[in-house]
Amino acid sequence: MAQHVTERDVRDIAEYTRIRLNDDEISQMTIDLNSIIDSLAPITEYDLEGVVPTFHPIGSLSNVMREDIERESFTQDYALSNAPAQQDGCFLIPSILGEGGDR
Amino acid sequence: MAELATMGICEIRAGLAAGEFSALELAEATAKRIEEIDYEQGGVNAFLEFTPEVAREAAAKVDARLAKGDSLTDIGPLAGIPMAYKDNMNLLGTRTTCGSRMLENYESMYTATCVQRTLDAGAVPFGKLNMDEFAFGSSTETSAFGPTRNPWDLERVPGGSSGGSAAAVAAGLLPATLGSDTGGSIRQPASFCGVVGVKPTYGVVSRYGIVAFGSSLDQVGPFARSVEDAAYVMNAIAGHDPLDCTSQPVSTDFTANLAEGAFGMRIGVVPAFMEAEGLSNEVREKMAEVANALKSAGASLVEVDLPHAQAAMSAYYVLGPCEAFSNLSRFDSVRYGYRDPGHADLGGQYEASRAEGFGPEARRRIMLGSYLLSAGVYDKYYYPAQQVRTLITEDYTRAYEKCDVILMPSSPRTAFKFGEISDPTSMYLSDMFTISLNIAGNGGMSMPVGLGKDTNLPIGAQLQAPQFKDENMFRAAAALELIYGKAPIAPRYAESAGE
Repeated sequence: MAQHVTERDVRDIAEYTRIRLNDDEISQMTIDLNSIIDSLAPITEYDLEGVVPTFHPIGSLSNVMREDIERESFTQDYALSNAPAQQDGCFLIPSILGEGGDR
Repeated sequence: MAELATMGICEIRAGLAAGEFSALELAEATAKRIEEIDYEQGGVNAFLEFTPEVAREAAAKVDARLAKGDSLTDIGPLAGIPMAYKDNMNLLGTRTTCGSRMLENYESMYTATCVQRTLDAGAVPFGKLNMDEFAFGSSTETSAFGPTRNPWDLERVPGGSSGGSAAAVAAGLLPATLGSDTGGSIRQPASFCGVVGVKPTYGVVSRYGIVAFGSSLDQVGPFARSVEDAAYVMNAIAGHDPLDCTSQPVSTDFTANLAEGAFGMRIGVVPAFMEAEGLSNEVREKMAEVANALKSAGASLVEVDLPHAQAAMSAYYVLGPCEAFSNLSRFDSVRYGYRDPGHADLGGQYEASRAEGFGPEARRRIMLGSYLLSAGVYDKYYYPAQQVRTLITEDYTRAYEKCDVILMPSSPRTAFKFGEISDPTSMYLSDMFTISLNIAGNGGMSMPVGLGKDTNLPIGAQLQAPQFKDENMFRAAAALELIYGKAPIAPRYAESAGE
C-alpha cells in the first residue's frame, strides 16, 4: 500500500478539522486513510483531457432567484434553545482573549 | 387487532373508506405492535424515538374529518397512514439525532418539507428511525445508539444507512417510512430487508430540513411493502419546494401507470456487471431470472454498457467525503450539538467536542474530505472526480437512448452478519451497484424478488430510470410485483400478524 499520508500529515488534518485524536487513534487513522486513498486510484488513471466537470447533477439548473420578501424567522430565544450554554441572549463560549484564550 | 397493524397503504385506504376501522384504532394497533416487537430485548430496534401520543392525536384528526364527511381524497393520499422517519429528518416535537452523540439532545427546530408533506397528506407520525451515524455506513452499525437488526435474521445487519426505515417496514411495524439515499442508503437496506425502496431523481423531493451529508447527492424517498404503496408516498412528497432551490416541479401521478406494467418497455442489462468481482452467485442467477421475468411480462431486453461505472466508486468516495467534510463543519459545540464540558479555551473545546461527538466513521470521512480538498491534492482527486461524473452521466445518457429502465442488483450479496465486514474499504464495496446513480442524479429503486437460493435471504433487483422519468421504474417494478408478489413481512414477525 502506498504511503499517501504520514502520521504527521494526519496530525495536521486532525488540527484543521478540529478533531482531537490520541497517538493510537492517529496511527489507526493513518492506516485507514492510506487504505481508502489507495482505493481511489482509478480516479487518477483516466484520460480526462478536455472533459468538462459536472459539479451538480441537474445540468440545466442555473442561479435560482426568488422575490426578496420578508418572512417570519426564529426569535432570538428560540434560536438559542439548542445551545449547550447561553448568557444574556448570546451563545456562551470560553474566553478567546486574555488569560485562558490560546488561539 | 394484529392484522390491522400490518396492513399496507392500499388496504388501509379501502378499510377507512368502508368504515371498517377508524384511524385511531389503526394507530392503537400500530403502537401496540411497535411496543411488542421493536422494544423486545435483542429485537429489531428500528426506532430511536417513539411518539404514540402524537400519532393518536393525528389519527383522531383524520377520524374527525372522515366523520365530518370529508373523503380520503379530500384528506390526502396518506390519510390515516402510520409512518415514521429516518432520524436525519427534522420533525417538530422530536429530536433529530442522525444516530450521533453529536446531536443526541438536538430538538428539531422546524419540520422538514418531505415530512411535512406526508403530514399534510394525512399521515400519522410514530417517530424517528435508526440510521448509520450521519448516514455514513451500509449496516446501521455506526449508529451511536446501537444497531438495528434485520427482521429476517436478527444476527444480520438490515443494511444502511436507512436501516431503521427498511427494518420497520420489513417487520410489519409500519406500512411506509421515509429514508434518504446518498450512495445507496435506501436501495441497499431495501434489498437486505426485502422491501420496496425508492431513490427518486435528484430534485424530485425537497431536501429542506434533512441534515445534509452530500448536498449534490442526497435524495429522500419511501420504503413500503408494495409498489403502489410507495407510489402513494411519492405522490405526497414529490414536487418543488421554494425552500430547496434544487427541487423541481413534478406533476407525475406515480400511481397512474402501474397497470401498464413492463409491456413494451426496453429493459437495459449490463453484461459486464454480471462478471463483477464480489457479486455472489445467487444474486447473479437471480438477476438473470428477473430479466427473463420482465421479458415474459412483455418487455424487451437490450444490452447496454456503463463503461465508467468502476470509476463511480472512486468518484463517490472522493465527492461524498468532500461534501460531508464541508457540511459537518457546522457542528461547532457552540450553537447546538455536543459540547465537551470544562474547557477554558475555545480551540480545546472544539477539538474535544468534535472528537467525542463524532464516531470513528464520521471522523474518517471528515478527515478524508479535508485531505482531498487540500491544496495540491484537490487537482489529483476532487477535480477529476467531477470530470468522471460527466463521463458517468454521458454513459447513462447513451444507455437510455436504447432503453427505458436499467436492471442490475441493488447489492452484490444478501445481508451480512454483524461485524462480518470491519474494514472500511470492503464495507464501501457493498454500494458498488448503487453509487453511480447518485453521481448522475438519476432515479432508482430496489424491488424484492424473492430469496437467494444459498442464503435464503431477500434479494433486491434494482431498477434505474433516466432523470425525471421515475415513472418508468415504477412500471417495471409493478410488473415484477405481479410475478414475485408484494414484499412479505419477515417470517419471524409474520406469525404474530396472523399471516
